[in-house]
Amino acid sequence: MQNVPSHTKARHFGMVIDVDKCTGCASCMVACYSENNVSFRDEESAKMLSLNWITVYKLTNGKPFPDTEVCYLPQPCMQCDGKEFGKPPCVSVCPAVATDFDWPTGIVSQIYTRCFGCRYCMAACPYHARQFNWWDPVWPADMEKYLSPNVSARTRGVVEKCTFCYHRFQLARQKAYHEGRSEDIKEEEYQTACTQACPSGAITFGDLDNPEHEVYKLKQDRYAFRLLERLNTNPSVYYISKRKWVHRMADNYLEGEVPRAFAEKEA
Amino acid sequence: MTTSAIPEGVKRCSGSQFILWLLPAFLVLLMAAYAMFRVWGFGLNQTNMNDAYGFALWIWADLAVIALGGGAFFSGFLAYIIGVKQVKNIINFAVVLGLVCYSMALLLLGLDVGQPLRGWYIFWHANIHSMLTEVAFCLTIYLGVLIVEFIPVILENPKIQRIRFFHHLSHNMHEIMAVFAATGVFLSFFHQGSLGGVPGVLYGRPFAFREGIFIWPWTFFLFTWSAAAVGPLFTATMCRLTEIITGKRLVKDEVYQLLAKISGWMLLTYIIAKTMDTIYWAAVTAPSAGFSLMSFYTNNPLYGIWMLVAEIAICGFLPALILITRKGRENRKLLFAAAILAIIGLCINRWAMVLQTLAAPLKPFDEWFMYSPAWTEVITTIMPVAVGIIVISLAYRYLPMFPQEKELNP
Amino acid sequence: MKIDRRCFLSLAGGLVVGHLLSPVPWKMTDDIAIWTQNWPWTPVPEDGPVSWKETVCTLCPGGCGVKVRTIKDRVVKIEGKEDHPVNRGSLCPLGYASIQYLYGPSRVKTPMKRTGERGDGEFEPIGWDEAITEVNRKLAALRENGKSHKAACIAGDDRGTVPYLFKRFLEAYGSPNFIRTPSGRDAHETAAYLAQGKTALNVGFDLENATYILSFGCGLLDGCGAPGYQFAAYSRFGEDHTLVQVESRLSNTAARAGKWLPAKPGTESALALGMASVIIDKGLYDRNFIDNHAFGFEDFTDDNGNMHMGFRSLAAEYRPDKVAEITGLDARQIESVAVEFARSDKPVALCGYYESRITADIDKTLAVHALNALVGNINQAGGMFVFPEPEYDLPAVSKDSIASDATGKPRADLAGSGQYPQSRYLLNLLPERILEAGNDDLPVEALLVLDANPVYTLEDSKKVQEAFEKIPFIVSFSSFMDETAKMADIILPDHHFLEGYRDVPAPDGVGMPVVSLSEPVVDPQYDTRNAGDTIIDIAQEMGGDIGKSFPWDDYGDFLEKALSDRYQDMSSNGYVVNRDRVADVADAFETDSGKYEFHPIRRHTPNNGDTEKLPGYREVGIPGGNLNNGVTLVAYKSPRIASGAVANPPFMTKTIDSKTLKEDKLFIQINPETAGNLNLKQGDKAVIETPAGTATVRIDLFEGIMPGLAAMPAGLGHTAYSRFIAGKGVNVNALLRAVPDPAYGMNTAWGIRAQLKKA
Repeated sequence: MQNVPSHTKARHFGMVIDVDKCTGCASCMVACYSENNVSFRDEESAKMLSLNWITVYKLTNGKPFPDTEVCYLPQPCMQCDGKEFGKPPCVSVCPAVATDFDWPTGIVSQIYTRCFGCRYCMAACPYHARQFNWWDPVWPADMEKYLSPNVSARTRGVVEKCTFCYHRFQLARQKAYHEGRSEDIKEEEYQTACTQACPSGAITFGDLDNPEHEVYKLKQDRYAFRLLERLNTNPSVYYISKRKWVHRMADNYLEGEVPRAFAEKEA
Repeated sequence: MTTSAIPEGVKRCSGSQFILWLLPAFLVLLMAAYAMFRVWGFGLNQTNMNDAYGFALWIWADLAVIALGGGAFFSGFLAYIIGVKQVKNIINFAVVLGLVCYSMALLLLGLDVGQPLRGWYIFWHANIHSMLTEVAFCLTIYLGVLIVEFIPVILENPKIQRIRFFHHLSHNMHEIMAVFAATGVFLSFFHQGSLGGVPGVLYGRPFAFREGIFIWPWTFFLFTWSAAAVGPLFTATMCRLTEIITGKRLVKDEVYQLLAKISGWMLLTYIIAKTMDTIYWAAVTAPSAGFSLMSFYTNNPLYGIWMLVAEIAICGFLPALILITRKGRENRKLLFAAAILAIIGLCINRWAMVLQTLAAPLKPFDEWFMYSPAWTEVITTIMPVAVGIIVISLAYRYLPMFPQEKELNP
Repeated sequence: MKIDRRCFLSLAGGLVVGHLLSPVPWKMTDDIAIWTQNWPWTPVPEDGPVSWKETVCTLCPGGCGVKVRTIKDRVVKIEGKEDHPVNRGSLCPLGYASIQYLYGPSRVKTPMKRTGERGDGEFEPIGWDEAITEVNRKLAALRENGKSHKAACIAGDDRGTVPYLFKRFLEAYGSPNFIRTPSGRDAHETAAYLAQGKTALNVGFDLENATYILSFGCGLLDGCGAPGYQFAAYSRFGEDHTLVQVESRLSNTAARAGKWLPAKPGTESALALGMASVIIDKGLYDRNFIDNHAFGFEDFTDDNGNMHMGFRSLAAEYRPDKVAEITGLDARQIESVAVEFARSDKPVALCGYYESRITADIDKTLAVHALNALVGNINQAGGMFVFPEPEYDLPAVSKDSIASDATGKPRADLAGSGQYPQSRYLLNLLPERILEAGNDDLPVEALLVLDANPVYTLEDSKKVQEAFEKIPFIVSFSSFMDETAKMADIILPDHHFLEGYRDVPAPDGVGMPVVSLSEPVVDPQYDTRNAGDTIIDIAQEMGGDIGKSFPWDDYGDFLEKALSDRYQDMSSNGYVVNRDRVADVADAFETDSGKYEFHPIRRHTPNNGDTEKLPGYREVGIPGGNLNNGVTLVAYKSPRIASGAVANPPFMTKTIDSKTLKEDKLFIQINPETAGNLNLKQGDKAVIETPAGTATVRIDLFEGIMPGLAAMPAGLGHTAYSRFIAGKGVNVNALLRAVPDPAYGMNTAWGIRAQLKKA
């Protein structure tokens, strides 16, 4: 692997979301807005103009009453590893290196002051995980007071997205360093805001490559899947659902094709 | 005696008539200027773009205009490198047209980015892996080349020719024009290609994504080839339009026919390649991601399979076949009908590669993303036409654009 | 030297070329780019020392413990407190968004006095002294005219020290009219009073320990009740936990439930009794409880020799096949759920609280309580808990003659009157009473509003608005410019919960006697005061016996004395749980029989009929019942929409999906089958008309809703607060109308008939 700084321990942060557990309450969304200084406007119903680093989608199995089922699918940035490791679809297209794959963490960064707003990365992302600041952010009255100094406010004309609360990683690393633990960050010391906020405990976050972390086990669940896996984007966000129709909703299948988790079963 | 600004031996309309003719174009330009003021002043919220349509009308216009402006590079290639003498009779016009197309494309790009004041980061902080970087570099340099190619034409204005320095400059530049033309051809090959690379590399977008060779997806070559094929047809069509408007013959039919013949064969080979590409994509690439061909052409109000039929059959094979046959070429109406079809086909192709790519839903729970442009986008997209009218009119009026004009209009 | 044109042009050209060759343009290009990275209008949040402080969120009755991240004197983030017994780290979106109410455009920043017409929302800021003097002047005049009983207070809760101070004030002032807003507690209180003989109590369900939760329409995961408490329980569900949801619409709770029983709305009592019949038939009930702690299970004869029907006989009338017919469910499913329920380790059945539509169906509540009694889980871990409201050991109110005279005066809302003798609060009846009265005979002439927004939350909002317009003097204690504050004459703004002290008693439905303490984490941002301080000031300025009844320096002093020995624990832990306040099952019942009365002898029935006392299935008449070919409009709760007294903060509105709200139009959910009949398609604009009002909506086709129903989310259609919520959608309350229970006066209408037409 190229580019891996030798002095840094390589981690691969990722998330496992239990779709059968998510209630669609949107606590994760609100916690994220608050944690990451996401701006808001008085009109937010046009979702393709609205800034959301994590969106909770409502899925239905489409069956008539009363066989209907509903599930909720929270979708942050997938922090894709890419077809080739380290080359997520959005990173290689950015003409100004405003977004990059961070090798020590596996997180896809976004540098707002470098970005000049060409939106090529948005076209490249199949998840709509990236959003553009169509407007200047404005915090009415004295709402600027609640802004966190850990995350910079964005300006009009740049793309933003979920960073897996990278600033929390930085804070945890700083703390570990000060306590003489250097690279030893405990699982619970670095958690994203949405993970913490989920009141149902549907989200688990950690180092996907660390066998001691919960996500390491969960990602190997028989019913684990990733969103649009067949595009070879290699997301770092996994989902778990025992419902076949949810798997069908998460990727595209030709007639006769069966989601992986159910393929062996039926064969 | 004062020298007239109008080239020697040709007739031009009166100044007032000329101004009257330009007036509508200027009005469009004025409105476009206001739209640009809105967009640059208040931001891209003045458009109808959104997070699903990060690329929209402007990017389509860019791609289309650059492909059509490709007439300049391919004519240059034919004239200076292959040495097809006939083409020299239209090369000045092609250069002017190319200049308009490219400068407008660049302007639209400047309008399209969220932070135009640091748009130069694309050069300064260039990511060499990005197709857009390749586009930006080639485009800018090629625009420079076009300007250099255009300067000697300007210098031929009788008033400017009076100045000794410019007279000599003009002469010397003509000598080395082949070098620039060659550079232009080389650059064009890459930027036309990299524009094709822009959608082609998007492996997260199965509608656009194509396999390819080395770093270049097939669209890279298809875009270059199609621009080379249709660009000269666009030059010819615009030239013919100028003839109709001015009521004068400016270029001999044999020039048109020659261009049509070359383009016809180019178009035929292109459309065969495009067909093969489409079949491979529909049979292998897209299904590997779980998509059938029809999943990209159903469940939405606009994008039906007609797009593909129109692009490949009606605006691809049909004009190609017309143009490769002598009878088709020799019938002026048929020739230009074919040329117009080919131009439409190219525009459909660019539209599909940009807008349909973004419109097609990927997550099964998404719906098609439809979009209609705002007036600010429409007017600025029409702007190249207005600028084209103005620049070509001025060039036609004051510069010796058509070497055959005197001969054809004794 | 003569400067000719040529020379000038050369000079100019030279200058341009010269500059281009110099570093100037490059430097400028760079500077401009740097400027775009530091636009002065983009805020740069100030850094500073970080600290985490703990308190309790009071934006809804859920009472979640929160931890607050502050940077210097700024609150930047709120998160759930892991070791708070109510929410154990879970927090709902409103809690996370509550910083947007600490700052922001909805706050009432100083005392205000109305300047425009009532309801116009035109106010001018006034000083606290002036405001309090103004209030006192009006109240004193009313009292002098012998109309002290025409003062009233509408409060969001009747427990806790701040409501206590308001009750105490009314008592000393001479008015019986302390009125709590309608809530799920009304029916539970009544049912517990009837079956267990207790008054002034909390009924809660121990979801923390329950293993089988049979929910009759509770929006446990839809943000109703105490969301944090419910989420905390749900998040810890394992393989051995079952949640069964009875609801006519596939709510978020139903979607996550192990089983969804889509019973017809209003038939829940039949379903509960049907399950009881299965449990009794199969002998799966708790014999020990029935034998030792139950009364009226079997038929019995009273002292006068009259035969009375027992619960067993009643249940026998609700065989699963009959219930299946009533509810539209499958008989075998009813049976299997009943068996699972009775056989499970710690089963609990619940209703009432947490429903999106607050109705007080006494029969349903009694039937559900009876299910819990049948499996013997009253005051048992994982079961239904009944414990008293907090009490305060404080000196008695000093009453002058006016105050003493007022004791027996009838209440403005008819609660406790001959018609509704067993009801405590009937705010739903008040608007009609005001509208019916002549201007010189109004039942309320001065109104204090605390932690409530009745103009928005009561059904038939238009009528409520009209009624409020008739009240001569209204004082609001709201922190926010809500619909009711907008109607007030004087606003005496309370602190945001992050700015002041407040005790928070056990949230609705929480199965433990917890009291938390909300403590300030920042200085008040504006010129606001704790409502407790304000009412103490008002009383003391009134002087006389009223003043004497408030012998405290300030609210802090009072709070310490009121909580006495609990105060220390509360201020160090943030909460206390008084487990000793839960009586052992042997002492749990204060009925005449000393037992749990399956046959509630004391139930007030207008005709005093015997069978009417027993819970039964009685079809509830809903308004507009004569409308043909229509739909039945029901309200639903969305966890992303705050539907209580406090409106959605901008962050929550941002989470609402585009099939619920688009621009300012709200979507109404109907089944595709219903849509087919009405010729409506997804996204169509439609007009919905009910006996209470008309609104324009959009159509959302949802398979998960019972055909014939139309569901509208509660919590939108605000007219006050700020542009971030006002004018968005429709207030469902404006389309609904209450139907009072003939014996208890509380609303029983779970929906309303409506015409839905394409617009």
